[in-house]
Parts: sequence; C-alpha cells; structure tokens
Amino acid sequence: MSNAASPAPSAFGEHLPSFLLAVLVIAAWQAAAMLGFINGHLLGSPAGIVISAGEGIRSGDLISNTAITLYETLAGLAIGSLAGTASGLLLWFVPRISRPAEGFSILLNGVPKIALGPLIVIWFGSGVSSKIWLAAISTYAVAMISATAAVRELDRDLLNLFRTLGARRSAVLRKLILPSALPWIFSALRMNIGFALIGAVVGEYIASQNGLGHEIFVAGSLFDLNTVWLGIIVLTMMAMLLTAFVRLVEERLIRWKSGP
Amino acid sequence: MSAAGASVALSIRDLSHGFIAPDGRMRLVLDGLRLEIATAEIVSIVGRSGAGKTTLFNLISGLLSPGTGRIEIGNQRGGAAGFVAYMLQKDLLLPWRTVLQNALLGLELRGKVMARHRANATAMLERYGLGAHLDAYPAALSGGQRQRVALTRTLLTEPSILLLDEPFSALDYETRLMLEDDVMGLRSDRGISVILVTHDIEEAIAMGDRVVVLGGRPGRIIEDIPVRLATAGRRDAANAREAPEFRAYHRRLWAALKGTAEAPDSAQIPETAVPGI
Repeated sequence: MSNAASPAPSAFGEHLPSFLLAVLVIAAWQAAAMLGFINGHLLGSPAGIVISAGEGIRSGDLISNTAITLYETLAGLAIGSLAGTASGLLLWFVPRISRPAEGFSILLNGVPKIALGPLIVIWFGSGVSSKIWLAAISTYAVAMISATAAVRELDRDLLNLFRTLGARRSAVLRKLILPSALPWIFSALRMNIGFALIGAVVGEYIASQNGLGHEIFVAGSLFDLNTVWLGIIVLTMMAMLLTAFVRLVEERLIRWKSGP
Repeated sequence: MSAAGASVALSIRDLSHGFIAPDGRMRLVLDGLRLEIATAEIVSIVGRSGAGKTTLFNLISGLLSPGTGRIEIGNQRGGAAGFVAYMLQKDLLLPWRTVLQNALLGLELRGKVMARHRANATAMLERYGLGAHLDAYPAALSGGQRQRVALTRTLLTEPSILLLDEPFSALDYETRLMLEDDVMGLRSDRGISVILVTHDIEEAIAMGDRVVVLGGRPGRIIEDIPVRLATAGRRDAANAREAPEFRAYHRRLWAALKGTAEAPDSAQIPETAVPGI
C-alpha cells in the first residue's frame, strides 16, 4: 500500500522546513550585521537580542514584565470572552431584543477598540486594570457575535424536540445551547487571544510602568532595537503558547466531533 | 376513570388552524378536522406536500396551540396522563452525547435518571443491535442505527402516543422494514398508539390499521380507510405487502391522492398538467 510506503509526516517532519528557514534567516541577519551590510543599531541583531534577553532574565525585568502582560491578557480575555459569550447565549431567552442586540454588537465590533485606550486609561488609571479592561473590550464583541451566531444556527427541530420532551428553559440552555455553541465559543476564543494581547500591549504603550508593551515602548524611544525585538518575540511566543493551550482544551472538550 | 379515557388515545374535534401569511392575510392550513385514534391503533396519514400534516403533528405534540377546536389526549392504560412523543425523519441525536446518553435524554429532561432507566435503555439498545456501541458517538453510526437510538430515546419516555413524521424515509429498504416491524410491535406489546405521516403509500398500508388521506387547501380529511389484510401469521412489514388486498388499497389511495391534486388549487399545479409547453 502507498500509505505504508510513505507514512504520515510526524509533527517534527512537518515543521522542519519552516524551522530551517527561520535558522537561515537568523544566520543571514547576524552575518549581515557582523559584516556591516546593515546597521546593527537601527535593525538590531540576533546576537544583540540574545544578550538583551540574558540581561533581562538576570535582572528579572523580562520575567516580571512577561508575567504582567500575560496576566493582563488572560484576565482581559477571560472577562471579555465570558461576558461576550454569556450575553450572546442569553439573548436566546429574550428573542425580542436579540436582533437589535446583534446589530449593536456588530457596531461595537466596528469600533477600533484601541482608540478607546486614552478613555480607558483616564477611567481606570495607568495600572494593570486599564490594560485588563482594554483587552476585555477588545474581545467582547467577537465572543458575543460568535455566540449569537451559534444560537441562531441552532436546529429548530432540536429545540422542538427538547420542548416536546418537556425540557425547562434552563435545561435547554445547559444541555442543548451551550454544548452546541462550544465549537463557536472556542473559535472565538482562539481569535480573541490576539485581540486581548493587542489590547494589553497598546494599553501599556499609552500609559504604564511595566509590562512587555512598556518595555518595548521605552526601548524603542532609546533606540534599543534589540530589546524591542526581544519583546516582540516574547509576545509572539505567548500568543502561540496560548493558542496551543486553547486548542488542546478544545480537542479534549469536543472529542465527539472526530468520532470515537 | 372514564371508559372513553381507556380506549381513546387521542381525540381531535373541529380542529382548525391557520397562520398569517407574509401578505398579512390569514391562511387556513387545517379546516374542521375530526379524528379519533384508539389505544393501540396505528393510523397512517398520507397527503400531498402542504396538506397540513406537519402542522397537525405540531398541534398534537403541543408545539402549536390550535386556533379553534380541541385536542384531547386520553389516559394511559394504567390511568396515568397520556404523553405524546414525536419522531422525525432527522434522528436529532446530540453529537456530543454517546449512544446511551442520547437514549436517556428524554428521561433526563423529564426527571432524574435512575439505575433502572439505565438498565432499560441498555437492554433496549442491545435488542436493537447497538449493545457494542453504547459509548460510541452518533458520528460513528449508520443512518439506521442512529434512527434506532432516536426510537429508543422516544420509547424510553413511555409515551401513549407516538407521532412519526417520515421517520424511515432516509433508510435503506431492509432497515426500513425492520424498523416498521419494531413500531408495529410496540402497538401489540405496549399498547402504544401510533400516528404515522408518510409519502409512501405502501408504508401507509403495510403499517396502518387505518389510512387517513389529508388533502385540499385548507387541509381536511378526504378519506378514512380501515385496512384489513389477510396475512399469513402475525402481520408484519413484509407479509403485509404481499397480502392479496394490498394492491386494491394501493389503487384506492392513489386515486384519492390524485383526486386531491385535481382539487382547485392554483398554487400547486403539477408540471405534467401544463400541456404543450
């Protein structure tokens, strides 16, 4: 069989080409900086980033800034996604306002949330809470639109089945609406990881004393490009790890999709 | 306990129902329907699309409240209140529940699931050849298996009346005959009354003690034909179709259905009736 001759590529084999490409780009970048083809001060260099990372870890700043931004992102993501999902699902109880509310959520989605940053900082101060709120606002609309769509796409016949079986509304919510909305909730959650990170980091750009956004902002104004790159790399890794974690939970919870 | 309550499972009197059409006018779907169904009786309802069959089912199952008229559900044999269960062509299994969990859904929504319910469900699923699939998800089952899980879910709620809306039309012939037999067995074993809506005249005759033809616009009962078949041994889905009277019933029903097509109805002119285009 052809299948036996060419086994499915392993995770390692699958990612090998992109890994090699990344190594190549980094090596070329470092070589160009060392040979003077590019200005290491204006572009940074891989070696400089590593040194910067070493200093950051030794002083503890990198770790604490990462922890703060991670906390802001997670808290904002949790608040925004929970509130958005809950309001989207609960609209099922009040069909009369469900259409205007969906219109409102689409309007809300159109607002560039980042533009609200200065307002949020004025209201909630320059501490951690303004970043959490900015991240929460950035994620709310997507979660709500997604949950509303999940309810709208629900099979009417399933709802009728629950009704003829005498289900209470709370049972319909718990045993029908919530489980059938899970795939929608998770796809919104995966999208929202990025939005929450943007909310937290931009909040830090606007006014803050710490966090990766603060670190990037300060380093940028000092032309310390290596530290800027370092911050971007850590943020990217954070987004990737969070996405991988959400995927893992999703696969656990939605096992039924792929059959036994 | 009245005598009527014991023998009449469902009584429909002067039932009319309509809805408001998009043009704002009231459109009557069912007009002055009268129908009585005895305990342990199978009544097949045939009719063209749009004759109001689904509306009738939604009314009987309580999803809709009737415009005028009454629908009375008789008590069960033991004297407990009757209960209507509804089964569609779609199996409506929840994909995130296993076969056993799906089968128990009706009981779960009506109260607490006890160990004996679980045992009942397992026994019934085993009888339907699903014993090895109790913990499988519906995605892994065939159409016939899924429909049996749906039937198990319906029957575990111990309904006095079972409404079947084309439940077998998507299944292959063999599976279909088996499930038809299962339903016919329910009548004799448990005294369940069955109302079967189908487009398939053969199925209507093979399963029904009576076949009711619904037609016209608004829908009303055009014919109510008792079916008596001389079968060798106990009537089942296969030997019913071989009974000598089968063809005669088929002709009569076919004629009645065609008659409903000729009723004045500008909205539903069949293509074949348009000459020369």
